[in-house]
Amino acid sequence: MFNLITDLARYNDLMISGSLETLYMVAMSLFFAIVGGIPLGVLTTITRPGHILPNKPLNFILDGIINIGRSIPFIILMVAVIPFTRMIVGTSIGTNAAVVPLSLAAIPFMGRVTDNAILEIDQGVVESAQSMGASPLQIVFKVLLPESLPAIILGLTLTSISLVSYSAMAGAVGGGGLGDIAIRYGYQRFQLAVMLETIVILVIMVQLIQFAGNQIASFFDHRA
Amino acid sequence: MIKIENLTKHYYAVQGRVEAINGLNLEVDDGEIFGMIGPSGAGKSTLIRMLNLLEEPTSGTININGTDLTELSSQNLRGARQKIGMIFQHFNLLTSRTVLGNVAFPLEIAGVAKKKRRKKAKELIELVGLSDRADHYPAQLSGGQKQRVGIARALANDPDLLLSDEATSSLDPESTKSVLELLGKIRDEMNLTIILITHEMGVIKDICDRVAVLEAGQIIEEGSIIDIFSKPQKPLTKKFISSVIDFDLPERIIKYVKTERPGELIRISFVGEKTHDPYISDLVKHYSVDANILYGNIDEIQGVPFGTLVLDLEGQLTNIEESIAYLKSQGLRVEVLDNV
Repeated sequence: MFNLITDLARYNDLMISGSLETLYMVAMSLFFAIVGGIPLGVLTTITRPGHILPNKPLNFILDGIINIGRSIPFIILMVAVIPFTRMIVGTSIGTNAAVVPLSLAAIPFMGRVTDNAILEIDQGVVESAQSMGASPLQIVFKVLLPESLPAIILGLTLTSISLVSYSAMAGAVGGGGLGDIAIRYGYQRFQLAVMLETIVILVIMVQLIQFAGNQIASFFDHRA
Repeated sequence: MIKIENLTKHYYAVQGRVEAINGLNLEVDDGEIFGMIGPSGAGKSTLIRMLNLLEEPTSGTININGTDLTELSSQNLRGARQKIGMIFQHFNLLTSRTVLGNVAFPLEIAGVAKKKRRKKAKELIELVGLSDRADHYPAQLSGGQKQRVGIARALANDPDLLLSDEATSSLDPESTKSVLELLGKIRDEMNLTIILITHEMGVIKDICDRVAVLEAGQIIEEGSIIDIFSKPQKPLTKKFISSVIDFDLPERIIKYVKTERPGELIRISFVGEKTHDPYISDLVKHYSVDANILYGNIDEIQGVPFGTLVLDLEGQLTNIEESIAYLKSQGLRVEVLDNV
């Protein structure tokens, strides 16, 4: 037992930098998920038949993008987009490079989450805004987004947690982070303690994200 | 003034072509509370939703104060909609905004400055009697209170017309009464035109000036409340009226009609001041008949007394005939009940 602790103490710096790398990858790709995924989701919903800007072809394309993006396993996506990653970041190795496939996975995920969140809004509320003479843009920013905010925050929480797990996979191809440590030290060098510690850190990270997400969502939720 | 001409709405559903509204014509005067009643599926919801083009008509025109809504560009339509308030059965308030935020919402859409919005919203919240709830969220309110917020919100841009889509249908009787009173009050204070749809005749009876009865996408009967209640023509209208006023004779009377009896059984219907005149005592005094009251009910529709009375007249046949003629000459509706 004593050996285990002294063992771990030697890797403290490594663990801290690994955790920070994971958080960095998650935060960056979450940012792109918000910037890309929420508009994607909003556009998908409002172009549905019967919604505020029905447009069948556009809806078909957007819905298709989301479905295709979500159907590619992350490990394959990561490898498949390497040329694209090189083009943007200049390299395919490291945390910055990992952010590219992570974002590409998170955007359609967040798109679907947003789509579902907005679909949950009672159509009557949208209609009442229309009856007041609201424009589609006003409806998006004053009705759809504020009304679905709690659900979108829970969706962001869900996306963050998926990103934590995806980022561990990114580690396997040189992306850095806790996944990278778990593979290199825990698996390849048989350092069981390191493996366990990364797992514990990941579990705590996910718990904290979920807790924070729930708190923020309920702060904005006035439905009951 | 609102003028609807040849309005038609067809749509396609799973079961095929649905003719929701079929060549409907209607005129509603300024400051009027106009009710539309009909069974479910009659097209009343489709009709009221077409009045602000939430539902697009297949053909026909909807003229509000000289503007044909169906001709407007979408931008002009949005402007026109700001002057048409609407309240809904399920209130449709924004859950993420407080009462104040909800009432200020249409002003925000209309681009009113923040300070002015707050002031106006507060006035309206006071008007509907919810000043102490201004910072509450809709989820913290009762149904009646939510509808009051809906009304305040609908009035925010000083509309000329208020559309009410089954606004009291999910409220308890007490809240229904107070919401209807509020609608009557704002009509009087703001000289607003109100068009409401409902399936409850009680709502029509309590606040409407005129009513149209809708069946299968068409108006089958239309008139002032008193006229419709006192002289309903169509069976459906009678059915609706009987839900609030008992027209049917009790079993006891029907049995009595069928028995052998010396005199004549008559039913008198009366409306308005006539209830104050002493017809029955006139009858007894001047025509030497005995009048025995078997059954009667008197109701009031918006302050106008309205009722029916079943009398058993006994005496000489000529006297009875003369007395019936007298009642008729006084403008009462008299029916001789030979077979009911």
